[in-house]
Amino acid sequence: MDDRRVDTAQRPFSRLFPYEWRMMTPLLAVMVIILAYPIAYSAWLSFRNVDLTKPGRDAFVGFDQYVTVLKQPLYWTALTNTFIFVAVAVTLELVLGLALAVSLKKQKRFRNLTRAILLTPMFVTPIAVGLMFRFLLNNQLGLVPVILQKLGISIDFFSADLALLSLALIDVWQWTPFMMLMLLAGLENLPEEPHEAAHVDGANAWQTLIRVTVPMMKPIILVAVLIRALDALKVFEYVYAITRGGPGAATETLQFFIYKIGFGYYRLSEAAAVSWTVVILVMAVLVLSLWRTTRGRSA
Amino acid sequence: MKKSVFRMLALMLSAMMVLGACTRGGSDSGAGSGGDAGKTETVTLKVIMEEVPDTDIVLGMLHEFHQAHSGIRLDIEALPYDQMRDKIVASFLAPRATYDLIVVDNPWMYDFASAGYLEPLDDRIQQAGGAYHYEDFAKPLRDIAEVDGKVYAIPFYNYALGLIYRTDLFEEKGLQVPATLDELMEAARQLKSDNMAGIAMTPQRGYKVFEEWGNWLFAAGGAIQDEAGNVVLDSPQARDALAKYIQTYNESAPANSLNWAFDEALRATAGGQAAMMLSYNWMLPTLNNPDGPAGELAGKFGLAEVPGGKAVLGAWFWAIPANSNNKDAAWTFVHWLTSPEQDTKRVIAGGAPVRDSVMDDPQVHEQGFGQEYYATVKEILKDASPLGDGPGAEEMIQAVGLELSAAVSGQKSVDQAVADAAKQAGEIMSK
Repeated sequence: MDDRRVDTAQRPFSRLFPYEWRMMTPLLAVMVIILAYPIAYSAWLSFRNVDLTKPGRDAFVGFDQYVTVLKQPLYWTALTNTFIFVAVAVTLELVLGLALAVSLKKQKRFRNLTRAILLTPMFVTPIAVGLMFRFLLNNQLGLVPVILQKLGISIDFFSADLALLSLALIDVWQWTPFMMLMLLAGLENLPEEPHEAAHVDGANAWQTLIRVTVPMMKPIILVAVLIRALDALKVFEYVYAITRGGPGAATETLQFFIYKIGFGYYRLSEAAAVSWTVVILVMAVLVLSLWRTTRGRSA
Repeated sequence: MKKSVFRMLALMLSAMMVLGACTRGGSDSGAGSGGDAGKTETVTLKVIMEEVPDTDIVLGMLHEFHQAHSGIRLDIEALPYDQMRDKIVASFLAPRATYDLIVVDNPWMYDFASAGYLEPLDDRIQQAGGAYHYEDFAKPLRDIAEVDGKVYAIPFYNYALGLIYRTDLFEEKGLQVPATLDELMEAARQLKSDNMAGIAMTPQRGYKVFEEWGNWLFAAGGAIQDEAGNVVLDSPQARDALAKYIQTYNESAPANSLNWAFDEALRATAGGQAAMMLSYNWMLPTLNNPDGPAGELAGKFGLAEVPGGKAVLGAWFWAIPANSNNKDAAWTFVHWLTSPEQDTKRVIAGGAPVRDSVMDDPQVHEQGFGQEYYATVKEILKDASPLGDGPGAEEMIQAVGLELSAAVSGQKSVDQAVADAAKQAGEIMSK
């Protein structure tokens, strides 16, 4: 203890940065390099006019890029599409995941085997999932249209009306297991007593689920939904592998829109501006939802 | 509390400044040391190419080049199309170029050249003299490589579109090769049956739908740009072409094929599920190859000019980046490979032709795919035009492709889609 005080008094660097801060320096340095620097750089980009195929036009342009972005109808289409995609995918994943988790908890035999099998979609790279479904749903080669045709049904999965829904269902196929895993972990940590009390009071299984289990699961459901929603917001691979944003702009999503502007047309500043509008939006939603839960808990 | 936040910021800031200094220092020191690699005895040329059969043919010819030029070795990196452009642009911007020689797709040409990323080749072409015979390259190809009066690239291979059709089915129904859009629509209608589509189409949003529909536009007498480069897409001809395109998709294309691209159309045609398609002219030898994708149907495919005779032209070119470390060696290779002598060998080996004299060469006819095929390709190349020529061609193609796709999928009316496409194309190309 004494040593430390002497040390602090002698060197100005140590006086400015006490022991705890110096211990954190390596981690902070790594964070700065891999997180803060790129983020700050992209913010800086969004206020300039960097276009790789038009060098020499680079200058500070203030909020011009943001104005350009907000004036594009395609940006708003992409925003709407992305939110529909997230809403549909995450809602279905939550409902299916909860159903699966509840039934898995009741399962007596082969528990580990069923869980392992159910988790497999998560292990496949999204781009491979995209290509898989591109073929599975293809009218010439695909298994799904063949089965449907046997039943006398002909569906164009990638028509203007259905394409976005089809992509959301692919997301559901891949990520329901994740939701299930999170909810199952939550379920297994719930105390038994409230359930027993409900049983004694004569509640049936459905009532117990809705009135007892789900309210107690609220925090874990919120976290699971947040993680999934943030991830679904980044949807790119399915769009890239299957529809390329089409038909028309029916599956134009934010990430694909950003990719197209940044790496297709090389307008890095405009792409950075779009990204920042997304960041701000996501931050707002995140802060609001987390703030509400923490307030709820302390009350 | 406030103090600690301030300290964190101070730490971050200082770290960022150090980082910034590092990157800036790096680029400064790199800029001066560009051209000293040429002094070493053996020069290694880094080349980027696309993973396509035409690249394999070039790889097969390298052995001969290495024998003739012992001082130059080629290191070719073949990549899928989607990764190429990013890598090429990164190399343009790097303090030290990654690639000494690149291949350029036609929509990129104007932007790359006008940004100063490509080395003008006029002097080198002139020095190569009469034996090189630059005028021998098909004119529409040379036109693409010329930006603001300077030549920036040498044609490598073409991918102009043609009509690929089943000769046996045409004979069976007594049909003539369609010369107009109406004849094409009628043929597609007649060829359609329960298990056969009249024509496999590629209405996928973006480049694909525009690449196909562009032929319909030309056939209807429309144009994308006028002589001066102004966008003239909003025309009665364009509306006519789009209405007919949509009608044909609904009547004669495979069911539910809205997101089809090249692969799907090829598979349908090769698998006997479609009687016609508009596709790259060099698909014909592949389809007629008994070991190819068509299997038993090989030999039953024919190639003709697209209806109306004016085709959408695509082409790949060789270009030397302005920051290439080995410009002379890169030119030595390009000059060697695209010379009449070697180009003949490349085409005989199956490469898509670019030189008129090669397409007329009886030796090529005999050892390649027959006189008729090369004569047809030569006719196609005589009157062919790229989708976009000028600034922002790539973006213009994507924007128009989006509107076309919206019309084909029924989200927009033909009039609305054509008007919107023309408006956006005009704005993009005047930026």
